[in-house]
Amino acid sequence: MEASQVGLERAAPGAAGWRRLIGAPALFAYAGAALVAGLLLAFWYAPVDASSMGFSQKIFYYHAPIAETALVAFGVAFVAGILYLRSGDLRYDRLGMVAVRLGLLFSLLVMGTGMIWGKAAWGAWWAWEPRLTTFLIACLLYAGYFVLRSMVDEESRRASYAAVLAIVAFIDVPITFFATRFLPEGLHPVVIRAGGSGMEGSMLLSFLVSMLGMTLLLVAMIRLEYAAELLKDEIDDLKTTLWEVGQ
Amino acid sequence: MSATVQFAAIVRKDLIRELRTREVLVSVFLFVMLSLVVFHYAFASEESDLTFFTGGMLWVTFLFGALLGLNRSFAQEKDEGCLDGLLLCPVDRVTIFLAKTAANLVLLLAIQVVAVPVFTLFFVERSYVGDLPLLVLVVLLADLGICALGTLLATISMNSRARDLLLPVLFLPLIVPVLIAATSATTAVFAGDTGLGELAGRLVFLAAFDAVFLVAAYGTYDFAIGE
Amino acid sequence: MTIEEAAQFVAAAYAVILVVLVVYFAMTARRVNGLRRDVELLRREAEKRERRGEGA
Repeated sequence: MEASQVGLERAAPGAAGWRRLIGAPALFAYAGAALVAGLLLAFWYAPVDASSMGFSQKIFYYHAPIAETALVAFGVAFVAGILYLRSGDLRYDRLGMVAVRLGLLFSLLVMGTGMIWGKAAWGAWWAWEPRLTTFLIACLLYAGYFVLRSMVDEESRRASYAAVLAIVAFIDVPITFFATRFLPEGLHPVVIRAGGSGMEGSMLLSFLVSMLGMTLLLVAMIRLEYAAELLKDEIDDLKTTLWEVGQ
Repeated sequence: MSATVQFAAIVRKDLIRELRTREVLVSVFLFVMLSLVVFHYAFASEESDLTFFTGGMLWVTFLFGALLGLNRSFAQEKDEGCLDGLLLCPVDRVTIFLAKTAANLVLLLAIQVVAVPVFTLFFVERSYVGDLPLLVLVVLLADLGICALGTLLATISMNSRARDLLLPVLFLPLIVPVLIAATSATTAVFAGDTGLGELAGRLVFLAAFDAVFLVAAYGTYDFAIGE
Repeated sequence: MTIEEAAQFVAAAYAVILVVLVVYFAMTARRVNGLRRDVELLRREAEKRERRGEGA
């Protein structure tokens, strides 16, 4: 399959028009449109939050979708890991790596926006609250994924190990969130809720539109980066061929 | 040779080897003892009521001790070619995993059996003999998670460069849930304001963690140990 | 916290998101274009050598 024609994981039918509709540039356009729409909705349609957080709650409309998207990315890596272990097809390894990298990027964004939101809402740049803590650990964990990759030289072994880690890590993230949320340090229940408890309709709509936009953005980025990885592989192959021919 | 027999054989081999050299046992034990001393000075203050920190100190010590022990025992195996020899036998990879986990568990428990009383001597004010079964339960469940996850990750990191660095980097983020549950449960036992009812949630959580990761390791160990 | 102060934080958060995503996308796009060029170059070179080989 030509790298320049890499399509979605689901096979795209042949017609050029169809491909243009769901091709990479189109996805970016849809994502951008949804994100802008979500932004407009968040500020001009949804009301200001009635709780003590007030206006700073507006950060939530991008912060939460980015968090969900990061988890989706890690989920893609999880599935890619399983598929690699079952098939041995290195393209799944490429996909997994791309997904983890994007998941890491989005996780860093979650922490960054979370800290800004924390400063605005509680006056402190950091709190050991469940979401921030879980994403911090996820960042460390998936950074470790790249450390692992850099320390294994043989390609199929590297891919196997990375797949195992992607699988184990994805299982661990919700467990970690659960632990930080429901197992308070002192055994006595502490109530810390830093997110929208109930959302009115208008808030929900803005949130959902932004989430759609972020997810589309993730899909578009994955496709782009995956294509880049396949191009890199093709370059390596060509270089090897040329070198051999030259001998 | 049935799987159970193979399992027992591998466990026995690992334990006998360790008993003969006592390399891991002695150095990890010393590390644990020294950590306790370090903790005393780390929290140096006029009044030494560290009751609230007891769980944390204990489990941090055990976690890092386990990391040391795992590193050492796997490095030994790999350098001496034992692992390759083992892989040549018609043994189910998962049996190897379970056997190694069990062996590591036994070693960790052996160290803890001595370390916990000493820790109590240094840091714990009240006598918790009545709550001893609870403590044992917490320790067992947490140890199982540590050894299962540790064995899986050590198998991976052993085959990479900078193996000693890689294991902690991968292991520590993953073991945080166990740390959270175990430290609060242990502190509660040492501080004395709890019974089985309140600890039940944490115990169930630890057991669930163990189950989940044992299953995950069961599914992936073939690939971790390579061909 | 007044709305003006809160608005600064909100603006900062969205600005961070925008900048990071745009920069990351730009870097990736540039890398992909470079890779595409390299692939083209190498492919042409491979064809050239093939023809030379057949000619000889």
